[in-house]
Amino acid sequence: MMKLNTYTKSNELFRRALKVVPAGIYGHIGPAEGCAIPTSAFPLFMDHAKGSHFWDVDGNEFIDYMCAYGPNILGYNDPDVDAAAIAQAKKVNCASVAPELLVDFAELMVNTVDMADWAFFAKNGNDATQFATMIAKEKTHRSKLVLVNGFYHGVSPWCQNYGYSGVTDEDLVNNFYVDWNKPEQFERIVKEHPGEIAAFISTPYYHPAMGDSELPAEGYWLKIRKICDENGIVLIFDDVRCGFRLDIAGSDKHFGIKADLECFCKAIANGWNVSAICGTSEMKGAAENIMFTGSYWLSAIPFAAGIACINKMKENNTAASIKAKGIKLQTGLQDVAKSNGFKLKVSGEPAMWFMRLENDYPSAIMHQEWVAECVKRGIFFTSHHNCFINDAITEEDIKQTLDVADEAYKVVKSMHPDFQ
Amino acid sequence: MDNVTKAKINLFAVLRNIEDLCELDKESKELVKNTKLSVSFNVPEVGCAVLIFKGGKCEFIPNESKAGLKLWFNSPEHFNKLMNGENTIPLFINVFKVGFLLKTFTKLAERLSYFLQPKSEDLFNDREFFEINTKLTAFTAFFALCQVGNSDSTGKKVAARMSNSIIACGIPGVLDVYIKVEDHIMTAYKGENKEAIAFMEFADIDFAHNMLSGKESSYAGLGSGKFKVKGVVGVLNEMSKLLNLVSVYLQ
Repeated sequence: MMKLNTYTKSNELFRRALKVVPAGIYGHIGPAEGCAIPTSAFPLFMDHAKGSHFWDVDGNEFIDYMCAYGPNILGYNDPDVDAAAIAQAKKVNCASVAPELLVDFAELMVNTVDMADWAFFAKNGNDATQFATMIAKEKTHRSKLVLVNGFYHGVSPWCQNYGYSGVTDEDLVNNFYVDWNKPEQFERIVKEHPGEIAAFISTPYYHPAMGDSELPAEGYWLKIRKICDENGIVLIFDDVRCGFRLDIAGSDKHFGIKADLECFCKAIANGWNVSAICGTSEMKGAAENIMFTGSYWLSAIPFAAGIACINKMKENNTAASIKAKGIKLQTGLQDVAKSNGFKLKVSGEPAMWFMRLENDYPSAIMHQEWVAECVKRGIFFTSHHNCFINDAITEEDIKQTLDVADEAYKVVKSMHPDFQ
Repeated sequence: MDNVTKAKINLFAVLRNIEDLCELDKESKELVKNTKLSVSFNVPEVGCAVLIFKGGKCEFIPNESKAGLKLWFNSPEHFNKLMNGENTIPLFINVFKVGFLLKTFTKLAERLSYFLQPKSEDLFNDREFFEINTKLTAFTAFFALCQVGNSDSTGKKVAARMSNSIIACGIPGVLDVYIKVEDHIMTAYKGENKEAIAFMEFADIDFAHNMLSGKESSYAGLGSGKFKVKGVVGVLNEMSKLLNLVSVYLQ
């Protein structure tokens, strides 16, 4: 039996946090939004990280398959990315005029992302999606958006949904919603609202929380592109989560089309905080007209990190590497599940797969128990969100993961003696 | 917030509590110990419910049933006024039973209000009061959230995102409720259900009280382990949105 983690310091810190921080730890990394089920199985605070591992404040070591929910693509504290950031830090980060790196970074994005004629930088993915929708509205002089059910484009009110705290119905009145892989629904909405739709915004493939991922059906994106072209609708790819994981040139290229606007964040700078919107030349004028800025958006350190990260991803063909590692890991997990009498369903792209047990669908309780047992043994998954692979994952990491997965399945089986 | 949903909450969640009040509260139990009568509440746009008093107990039927005393309201607002304690008289059939309405039922309503809308925080120092208040508040919350999901315009949009499921909610050893979602219509029931696929559990009655009264948040509870969830998290997530909307109606 493997050693199980204890989280004394994490829990103590959390009790302190509850007094001075809303929810203790808010957002997707906190135990509530992060669906830590049960919370007692999960670490709450980190101490340090390196490569594919992080250590919590209790000294527990984890192989991390959440990768900070996406930013970690090369490995935590990548030496080349961090060296670039530190070198820039010695010069300047945030000042009263723009850094030279703004131009270098924008040129790199234009030369890397296939659809890009220009680039604009902000901080978070939601800054990018927010700006993209504003560009679309400025370009078309229309007010309505079409989103795909199960979407996540950030936390601005328009990105949330009816009934969400702090969001009013008025925040959502200009949104229409369609189901994934149903271009006929988009077509119908466009027919019913001619000249009203500014943009169709979507992730490159369907990766909702708490549900199977689904790749685009054959011809899906071509159909969407055609509807947009015929009706003057801006096509926005929210590549915040997938970006650089599927294809260094952009996920729209990966799926065979060209978007009008594409949003990047997460993997762009291996965890240094920057996001980007890239656009075609047709969108540039509209982008220029909009007052959209932020205090830290022209900070030089993340630009340096982003340049180093993208160059390294190009050099190492990171997308191909993490795909191969993902396939190896997921095949191994499925084999281990099968050997214990379980059936593990894997969906989505190998670099950022979603997994669940078919045996206890839709309740997912046994899968949640398995994830908890893995976390207690130092393998950090979540049960509600797609996982991520980073390029620092080693053969040894994968072997250890599969060993833990095997023991965890055995524990789950023992908790359900009636399971067949 | 709309009057129809408010009336549905008043009828199917708040009034429903009379059933448990007669079980939990000695004074209420005493009031009904010799009562043998069914009372129906008929509210247009809202529906009908019946309180059956028999054998020293009260049973709540959330739809039409035989009744010896029938109360008719001319609108949801008319019913809401009664439930707010405003001076309102419903139309009724069977004048011989009006004594029950004016005496026993009025006292029951006062007892319910005493527990659900305490005039002083000091009352919570009495453990029995604390527990009855918490149980009735919990029942109200879960039965009310179904009405919000079925009737409120925003609530219906939330319910539209909920897949067919049975969600078990409770405080171990204290109370169990389950909510059935079918074709986006929600119904609450007392008790356990072996087919539940989502679970929401308060560690103890004290935390349940604090969370339901807004003194502690579900987020804090999840972090500390005093509030546990498992199963179909998506449905639980949407339920939390409905519970938020309930607090708007019940404030």
